[in-house]
Amino acid sequence: MLAGKGFEKIYNLSGGIKAWDKEVAVGSEDTGLHLFDRVLSGEEAITIGFGLEMGLRDFYLAMQKRVVREATKALFSKLADIEILHQEQLVQLYGEITGTQLSVADFAEKIAEPAMEGGLTTEEYLQLYKTDLDSESEVLSLAMAIEAQALDLYLRAAEKSTEAGSERVLRRIAAEERSHIARLSHYIDHQQDLI
Amino acid sequence: MKWLQFFTPVASINWEEANQLVADHPDGDVLFLDVRQPQEYAAGHLPGAKLLPLGDLENRLGELAREKPIVIY
Repeated sequence: MLAGKGFEKIYNLSGGIKAWDKEVAVGSEDTGLHLFDRVLSGEEAITIGFGLEMGLRDFYLAMQKRVVREATKALFSKLADIEILHQEQLVQLYGEITGTQLSVADFAEKIAEPAMEGGLTTEEYLQLYKTDLDSESEVLSLAMAIEAQALDLYLRAAEKSTEAGSERVLRRIAAEERSHIARLSHYIDHQQDLI
Repeated sequence: MKWLQFFTPVASINWEEANQLVADHPDGDVLFLDVRQPQEYAAGHLPGAKLLPLGDLENRLGELAREKPIVIY
C-alpha cells in the first residue's frame, strides 16, 4: 500500500512479530505518554527519564527482598547498580545541555513522583508477566521486558516530540535503554547455569 | 498513475536484517509500523512501533515520513 506513494524504503518483516527474537513491549499506544505530555525541553525530558530510572531501581531492589535464592538476590543487586550508572549518565547529559553540574543525589531531589518505566506499577508488572521470582532466567526476561517498555516509551515520546532539543535527548535516552537491553541479552547468553 | 504501486518491489527482511537496519541508523530513523489491530498491539509490539491499523493506513499516510526506512509487520 505504501510502495509507489513516495515512500522510498519500505520493508516487510517476514514472519511478523512472531518471528521477532528480541524484546517486545506491552501496552496501548499511549501507555506512559502522559509522563511526557508537558515535556517542553530536553532538560525536562531528562528529569522525567531520571524518574523512570529511579523507579526501575526501586523495582529491582524491591524484588531483591522478595526472592529467596542468593544468586537471584545478587542478580537484582547488579541490575539495581546498573540503574545507578544509567542515572549518572542522565545527570551527565543534563550537565551537557544546561551547563549545570549536579550530583545524582541533588538531581534526585528534583523528582516529585518517581514513576515506574512504562507507567505501570510493580504489582501490575508482576501480574502482567506472572514471573517466577526464583528463576533467574525469568527474572532476566522480566528485566528485559521492563527495559523494552522504557525503550518503547522513549522512542514514542521522541516521535511525538515537537521540540528538537527534547527529541534529541529522548533519542539518546532510548539509545541507552537499547544498550541496556543488549547488556542483559549478553548476560543471559553467557550464563550456563540459569534456571 | 496507479500502476506504479503494483510494480514497486517491497523487500522482505528477517528480524536479523531488521536489527542490522536499526544498527545502521543510530539516529533512530527506522520506523517500525504495526498494521495490526489495537488490541493486538496492546498484547505485544516491537518497542517504539507506531500503531497504524491496516484499515486506517490509506487515510493516515501523512503521518509517515516518506524518506525514512519503514519496517512493516
